Amino acid sequence: MNTILECNSLTKRFSNVTALSNVSFTLERGRIIGLLGPNGSGKTTLIKLMNGLLVPDAGTLAIDGKKPGPETKRIVSYLPDKTYLPEWMRISDTIEFYQDFYEDFDANTAMDMLKRLQLDPSRRLKALSKGTKEKVQLILVMSRKADLYCLDEPIGGVDPAARDYILNTIITNYNENAAVLISTHLIADIERVLDDVIFIKEGQITLQSSVDDIRMKEGKSIDTLFREVFKC
Amino acid sequence: MQWEINSDRPVYVQLIEQIQAGIISGYFKPGDKLPSVRDFAADAAVNPNTMQKALSELERTGLIYTNRTSGRLITSDTKLIEDLRKQSARSQIIEFVDRMMLLGFQPDEILQLIEQVMKTMQKQ
Amino acid sequence: MLKKLLKHELKATSRYITPIFLILFLFTILNKIILGLDIFKGMFKGALKIIPGIAITGYVLSLIAIVVVTFVILVVRFYKNLTSEEGYLMFTLPVKSNQLVNSKLLIAMFWTVLSILAVILSLFLLFMNEFDPSLFFGSIREIWEGIPQASRGNAVLLAVEIIVTVILTLINSILQIYVSIAIGQLFNGHKLIGSFGAYIGINLVLQILFTIAVAVTGVVFHSFNDIRDITTLFFPILIVVFLVINGIYYGLTNYLLTNKLNLE
Repeated sequence: MNTILECNSLTKRFSNVTALSNVSFTLERGRIIGLLGPNGSGKTTLIKLMNGLLVPDAGTLAIDGKKPGPETKRIVSYLPDKTYLPEWMRISDTIEFYQDFYEDFDANTAMDMLKRLQLDPSRRLKALSKGTKEKVQLILVMSRKADLYCLDEPIGGVDPAARDYILNTIITNYNENAAVLISTHLIADIERVLDDVIFIKEGQITLQSSVDDIRMKEGKSIDTLFREVFKC
Repeated sequence: MQWEINSDRPVYVQLIEQIQAGIISGYFKPGDKLPSVRDFAADAAVNPNTMQKALSELERTGLIYTNRTSGRLITSDTKLIEDLRKQSARSQIIEFVDRMMLLGFQPDEILQLIEQVMKTMQKQ
Repeated sequence: MLKKLLKHELKATSRYITPIFLILFLFTILNKIILGLDIFKGMFKGALKIIPGIAITGYVLSLIAIVVVTFVILVVRFYKNLTSEEGYLMFTLPVKSNQLVNSKLLIAMFWTVLSILAVILSLFLLFMNEFDPSLFFGSIREIWEGIPQASRGNAVLLAVEIIVTVILTLINSILQIYVSIAIGQLFNGHKLIGSFGAYIGINLVLQILFTIAVAVTGVVFHSFNDIRDITTLFFPILIVVFLVINGIYYGLTNYLLTNKLNLE
């Protein structure tokens, strides 16, 4: 089956705020999909639901046909938009950790990437800069041979060289069996890498299309279209 | 290779154009082996599916072919490359002449100006 | 998976706890030396008397500290690893959330028991100058033989019940912290206060329930007539009560961490 994720009428409420309302879409294997929307549009809520960190109030979400749980966490590789690794660990400890818990983790890939960045695995995370920590996290997440990669704002707040590195890592780790979901509000830098886009506004999907279709139909870049759709 | 991709036209079309330019200019020589789709896409900082689409189109027109053991190679058909070169030159000239005529120049004026400019350029 | 969680939990906690054990060990040796010098050689006269005074005070403090600090480290560990940003790592592992709680509970029990044993061992080292095994086991045998034949089975039962109760009490104190933290993490931006509030709230509820229970049983039972009541009534009831409370704490913690997880 080519669909790796399917959600139907997904709804999530917090106190009196509806973060997601009737969200339905599918993600196909072998595609790189951009989840695009302004801050507070529900992107993070959607990603947390995909990773089993939140439970829906209504609707369904299935990854490879299963509800989010230990079975799906085995095949989903998640990169949150914050530094989530324990500070006391050395880089080598984090590799050992991922190796212990994820069967699909390839330590050699990770070590190669670290070597190319000239990062000494014996260094403690505490001693690294924020940007370097983020790169380590990206390396760990992309060194898994997962079926779905969820990257939450991978290029937010990094310098252009780091941005290139991150996009390069995403492209070179591409495989036709996996889908990559990139959630971001920085579209110009990332559109050349995307196959499809999903626009999300105030908890609802407003557009789902392939990038080429948009460029041909509208004759403009995704970034331009985004600015029009989400004008303040 | 220096890629210049902008975002308001389909990326695969631009990839085709720039690879063709690379073949014409000799950056890619006849018989050269191309990188894997993934590496090539990473080099251009584009989606591998998009690069695949571009390469498939180039294969269809015969500029690239796939050898089972060696991967993707630039054609050794020099006549095909020469045709491409001439065609590319033609489109550039047509575009230029169109623009000049929009500015109000006549055909013989245009030819004269070209000769003058080229003489100056050769002196440098 | 649980084994890997346990291994990792041990690795993460021993970083902070092992040094504390080492400090206790050093203080024990230090005190043994100083006490030895003081008692047997009368080395500290006059103003110098303050030195053994400080040494003993430091030692007693370290005895208290090892148990308290161990407990604090374990509480902070649970809080930090599951409700702060590290939660993004832990709750996306391919494990069930009750496995996460189990691993922390087991390691917490391990370290707590170990800290108490360390204190006992330290005291032994300090005060047992001549340890005579025959004397020690001899006195145990004397106690055993002092118990009338008929009551020996009861005595064993009592000992077992006491051990079970101690273990359940230990689990209870740890789980009460865990469930408080699980409740506290529901409150955005006020997780810490929420946890403290929940802990105090639970204590209050227990106090009220306990007072009611005592009042009720005071009416029904006049007193415990003989030792058999203690083993057949008092402890079994106590054990059941603990099992129920522990079960509630455990179930609630897992429910909240699975369905009401509130990572920011």
